[in-house]
Amino acid sequence: MGSLLKINEGIRLVLPNDLKVSSLQEERHVVFHEQESRTLAFWDTFEWGLWFGGYVLYSYGGVYHLCSREEGWLGAVICEEETGDRRRFWGDFETVSMRTALERTLGLRSLAMVVEGTFHLRLGELRNEAEKIVCRLELSSVSAGREGEEKLLRTCQVLPLRGYEAEAARVVEYLTQRGAKSSGDGPVDVLLRHANNEPQKYTLRPSFGLTKETPAREAIGRIVRTMLEIAVSNIPGILNDLDTEFLHDYRICIRKIRSVLSLVKDVYPAEGTGRMRKILGDLARQTNRLRDLDVYLLARDEYLGLLPPELRPALEGMFEDFSAERDIEVQDTTLKIRAHSNRKLLRKMAVYFSEETAHKPSSSADIPVGPLVFRCIYKRYRKIREIAAGIGTETPDEVVHQLRIECKKLRYLMEFFSELIPGEEGAQMLKMLRRLQGRLGDFNDASVQQKSLLDYWEHKKSGPDVAMGVGGLVSILYHRQQQTRGLIKQSLGEFCGGSTAAAFKNTFKLSDSVSAKSAQ
Amino acid sequence: MKIISSYSIKGGVGKTALAVNLAFAFREAGHRTLLIDLDPQGAASFYFRVGSAEKFKMRDARSMAEGLRRNIRESDFPGLDIIPSNLGYRHFDILLDGMAKSRKQFRKVLEEFRPDYDVIILDCPPNITLLSENVFRASDAILVPVVPTVLSRRTFEQLTCFFKDEELPCKALRPFFSMVQKRNKMHREIMGELPESYPGFLTTVIPFSADVEKMGLHRMPLLAYSHACEAARAYRALCDEIFSTLNPQP
Ligand SMILES: Nc1ncnc2c1ncn2[C@@H]1O[C@H](COP(=O)(O)OP(=O)(O)OP(=O)(O)O)[C@@H](O)[C@H]1O
Ligand SMILES: [Mg+2]
Repeated sequence: MGSLLKINEGIRLVLPNDLKVSSLQEERHVVFHEQESRTLAFWDTFEWGLWFGGYVLYSYGGVYHLCSREEGWLGAVICEEETGDRRRFWGDFETVSMRTALERTLGLRSLAMVVEGTFHLRLGELRNEAEKIVCRLELSSVSAGREGEEKLLRTCQVLPLRGYEAEAARVVEYLTQRGAKSSGDGPVDVLLRHANNEPQKYTLRPSFGLTKETPAREAIGRIVRTMLEIAVSNIPGILNDLDTEFLHDYRICIRKIRSVLSLVKDVYPAEGTGRMRKILGDLARQTNRLRDLDVYLLARDEYLGLLPPELRPALEGMFEDFSAERDIEVQDTTLKIRAHSNRKLLRKMAVYFSEETAHKPSSSADIPVGPLVFRCIYKRYRKIREIAAGIGTETPDEVVHQLRIECKKLRYLMEFFSELIPGEEGAQMLKMLRRLQGRLGDFNDASVQQKSLLDYWEHKKSGPDVAMGVGGLVSILYHRQQQTRGLIKQSLGEFCGGSTAAAFKNTFKLSDSVSAKSAQ
Repeated sequence: MKIISSYSIKGGVGKTALAVNLAFAFREAGHRTLLIDLDPQGAASFYFRVGSAEKFKMRDARSMAEGLRRNIRESDFPGLDIIPSNLGYRHFDILLDGMAKSRKQFRKVLEEFRPDYDVIILDCPPNITLLSENVFRASDAILVPVVPTVLSRRTFEQLTCFFKDEELPCKALRPFFSMVQKRNKMHREIMGELPESYPGFLTTVIPFSADVEKMGLHRMPLLAYSHACEAARAYRALCDEIFSTLNPQP
């Protein structure tokens, strides 16, 4: 009976409620084994990474089973692992097969239980005159929770044996004639819907349904509301400290809203916009230290790997210090986010940007968003070119940092309004921008991390072994940073000249007549 | 993929009992196993309740492989498939006779099953034909049940001579004692001598047991209805011994 849920081939049928098992017994001479009930707990991430990656992960009887997902049904088991402690991240699993399968789909995300369901299973066999098994059946009904009474769905899987497919086909025909259906939701679908927890695509780059003609205030309002919603949807994950990505995404949402409000000016009255930007700034600042610590801790293995083994133990101590600090910082940050005052700020913002709220007129509120935003985008691009012109081997880190910020602003604008940008060219421009940003990010990380390592050393004044570890890392990071300089220069060349420059100009630089018209 | 055949010139020595239980033991150990019943009597097929195979044309190695594939039947035990016997095997000799490399064709046929199975077990009829010569050349191991009697011993010696004469792979010949009665003095004597003159003898011994005889009543392998009896344990031990001789640890 061990393989009840593993058998995956065969035909899956949803049975009508009035079809009795006894009819199969009497008319088709199927012999059924005793019923067995199992409560399965299903797991996935906040982003439903497993579900959309084509997997289902469930635990039962102390074993995790990773299956392929076939619509809303459990498919073949890909791998299994005994649970010792609860597993949260892919790295908590021990078997190689489980780790490799999950690493790709989970990334930094943690697992949480998405639903529990009880499967009542009965295995049956059809035999021929020689008493040989020629077809297997797996009847199953599923109910919600641990001992849910109400049967949500009855199914029958008809499992042919090789060389006896005709007999299985006859059973399927018998069942379909009595109302069984081979399409429709499977048991996992039904459980999730019952729990009101249906898989939803999650993205930080939603589309907003904009056109070039959408009035600017309506467009920006829609963007802000959507991003606020995404930010808020991440809060429970932050409060429960499920994984680092909740905070990461929350911060991005806030930063993006703040950025669009300052880049596309005069859409809302200046005074209100200023207030909102201040709230957003405050919200982001509360979480700065926690995010820094997350970044250090995520880089732990990479950093230790950069050092020769003898130097590692000393630095492990540093990461333990970070980890301890993080424990405290999590408490602090979640207290702040949970606080009444904070919730009030979020509510204020929601009200301010709500569709119902009437605002005083402002100069850009009613003009079409397309030309308005294109002008902003082109302005950002020119600004980047300006800074880029002064970049050389001697440029101070702060200037490179400034360039990085400008690129980020441009990226946000292009992403928010991607619906308005012609697809192919847009993709090409974004590709170049992304490459440049990647290198700027590497440069900045190396720079910030050198500083934080030295800060740590300053404060801690630990022994010479820590000094060697820190010194070793700092010099590697410095070397990396210098190498990245060259790469940045190269990316800037591509981004600021040639076909990319032409694409920006063609796409975003509007003829005077258009800008004049839209400015009216 | 390993190909293991159960063979003896003598009838009624336990070839089919071996093939059937060995197949069961291999699948129990997690190997995808295919049992091919090459004996037109179809005893192995009977033990798995599988009817005889449909006829198929055997023009060449490829069409034979296709015909065999079409006749694969899943046993009641997932992971163990059977190709039931087929009276047409008799024509196989005639067909082979007209072919180049007529002694090596069967290996080519079985190679077609490599992706699907880890082990193929062949239950052979007690005769020497072109088909059996093909089986010898195709097999990684040829298991020969030897009942410890004077007569069986002679037939085994005949077989080794035949192998030498025909330049067949003697190393693949792996005899073992079958239907052994410990209280029988002659059995004990022969079991003392024979392995000394033939170093390839397997050490596992299959005892004579009423449990094995009951396979005909149950119509299933002994291992499926009497899991822990002495004979069942012996078949499992034989399976382990063969597996380790075929996959020597470095
Ligand atoms: N170890 C054993 N103990 C007792 N009886 C056995 C044993 N092995 C086989 N038998 C019985 O002996 C008879 C012949 O066995 P089996 O069919 O396995 O031999 P065989 O070599 O395949 O015969 P054939 O040459 O006819 O194919 C069968 O009735 C079987 O049940
Ligand atoms: Mg036989």
